[in-house]
Amino acid sequence: MTVRAIAGLAALNLGLAVVGTSFLWAARGLPRWTDVLRLSGLGYLLGVAVFGVIWTQLLVVGVPFGGWAVLATLVAATGVCGAVGVRRGRSVPRGLVGPPTGSSLSLFVTASGIALVGLLLEALFRSARLQSLQAFDAWAFWVPKAKAIYFFGGLDEQIFTTSAGPTYPPIVPILDAAAFHAMGSVDVVTFHLQFWFLLAGGVAAIAGCLYRHVPPWALWSSLLLVLVVPRFGEGLLTPQADVLVDLLFVVGALQLTLWLRDGQGWRLACIAALFAGAALTKREGLLYSALALGVTFGASWPRRRSAWPRLALVAGIVVAAAIPWRLWYRAHDITGEAPPSLGASASLHRALDSLRLSLDVLFDVSLWSVVPFVLLLALAAAFVWGDRRLAGFITALLVLLFLGGAWVTYSYPGLPITANEALNPIVRYTGALVLLAGVSMPLLVGSAWEDGPEAPP
Amino acid sequence: MVAYWLLVVLVAIVVRYPGAFTHANESARANAALDVFDREVGGGNSVIPDQALLFAARGSIPADGTFTVAMGAPQEGWTDLTVTFAETFLRYFLLPRRTAPDARWILCFGCDRSAYPGAAVEWEGDDGLSILKRVP
Repeated sequence: MTVRAIAGLAALNLGLAVVGTSFLWAARGLPRWTDVLRLSGLGYLLGVAVFGVIWTQLLVVGVPFGGWAVLATLVAATGVCGAVGVRRGRSVPRGLVGPPTGSSLSLFVTASGIALVGLLLEALFRSARLQSLQAFDAWAFWVPKAKAIYFFGGLDEQIFTTSAGPTYPPIVPILDAAAFHAMGSVDVVTFHLQFWFLLAGGVAAIAGCLYRHVPPWALWSSLLLVLVVPRFGEGLLTPQADVLVDLLFVVGALQLTLWLRDGQGWRLACIAALFAGAALTKREGLLYSALALGVTFGASWPRRRSAWPRLALVAGIVVAAAIPWRLWYRAHDITGEAPPSLGASASLHRALDSLRLSLDVLFDVSLWSVVPFVLLLALAAAFVWGDRRLAGFITALLVLLFLGGAWVTYSYPGLPITANEALNPIVRYTGALVLLAGVSMPLLVGSAWEDGPEAPP
Repeated sequence: MVAYWLLVVLVAIVVRYPGAFTHANESARANAALDVFDREVGGGNSVIPDQALLFAARGSIPADGTFTVAMGAPQEGWTDLTVTFAETFLRYFLLPRRTAPDARWILCFGCDRSAYPGAAVEWEGDDGLSILKRVP
């Protein structure tokens, strides 16, 4: 661990944030510097997704990965986004202060929330800085794949086809390999900070996206609650793909929710990038994205003529981004991403056991504290006093996600019915559902607090 | 109902936040207390019986070299994970060195050395661990 390694990591992540923020500038426009600051977390996640998606395609076609290539990608992606922004007539951000948006009490709540989240992130930073590589999946295949990209400059056939999880998509190994280049060596201790950056960026993205849409007390209380649930506390900095796929999916789903309310087209560009990133981060990412887009198709039925072609374009981009990696591993005789016969041969008894397991895991307070219970309260409040359309959309998405988790257990006959993480992925899978619950709650209680649903755009 | 929601959430935060903060601090302290070798080896400490094998292998096998792992019967000092996961860990730890069946370097875990006639002992430790080098 050296200061040079930390500085290198900081520079890499700043570069990713610049790429994503220029993407946002081109897609949305950022009139004030406060907009840049507020949406910098979203910009960072977009940068991670865009960088990962680009490099997945480049590695599949055999472009060698290296430090200069990483730098060139960051510069080129920023340049392309900048050129698109200029062509679309986006103005350079001006002014630091926007119109006043809240009372003194709101400002106090926001400042307190930022302080408490910041304090926790600072403690996690110190923890990550000197953390050794302990997690089995990390040293069994995630980091070997990253080392292979770093040392051999591509999808090395021996490592990528003989390690465990050969169908797992490569965005996390790509990010790790970029981190090794940025640090100047394969420093498997300091590289835990890369996962701290992902966490901090994800938290900033959620807060920035919700800031103007919900009361501060709802935003910061939900965010803090989700950050301190036991399961996340143990696994936030584990160098695996679970936290990143959850963040990319949940922030994308949040953008979909907001798009249903305000219909702003730039959100769809973000959703396409985030879901494409999720689909190339972990296999579940594709399932999560398909479920979220499916629910959105249904929710946008009243304005299907204008909404569906745009949603279909988003779905097309996600699928197009996901295909090359699938072609690569199939070309190397690797199968097993989808369950055999999609689970059609399993029994009703197993289906019921799978549902029961998913339910037990979701309502396990030793994993998720009270999040699922307060989610039910928030949904009830929104259905009774708030935005019923919003509550219906979020309920449908959460139910489908829940059923998706049960289907995973049901459809792989080799998975035992157990919450043991070494044997069944249901706990990791449920993390996305709980994070989505935490992000949805401010919108739900906020709509109930405002005493009535918002008018459709 | 919204007030009730907020109350439950705030109580949960009051209960959970100090624990999460303390856990992160304790984890930071525990990580700082590790020596540089324990930190570098990480999960391998519960798989490989002797760290010295790992660093000897890194010192002996060139970066473009190949190695193979030869596993014998479990011996005293090995963990429950050694037989099953030693090769997986070594593949990770020793990269960019690759594995190959006919590799010049043999990481011997209580293996039958007579299976490698002419191989010289490059390093030897306790618990039946050794590094053999095939003479070309």
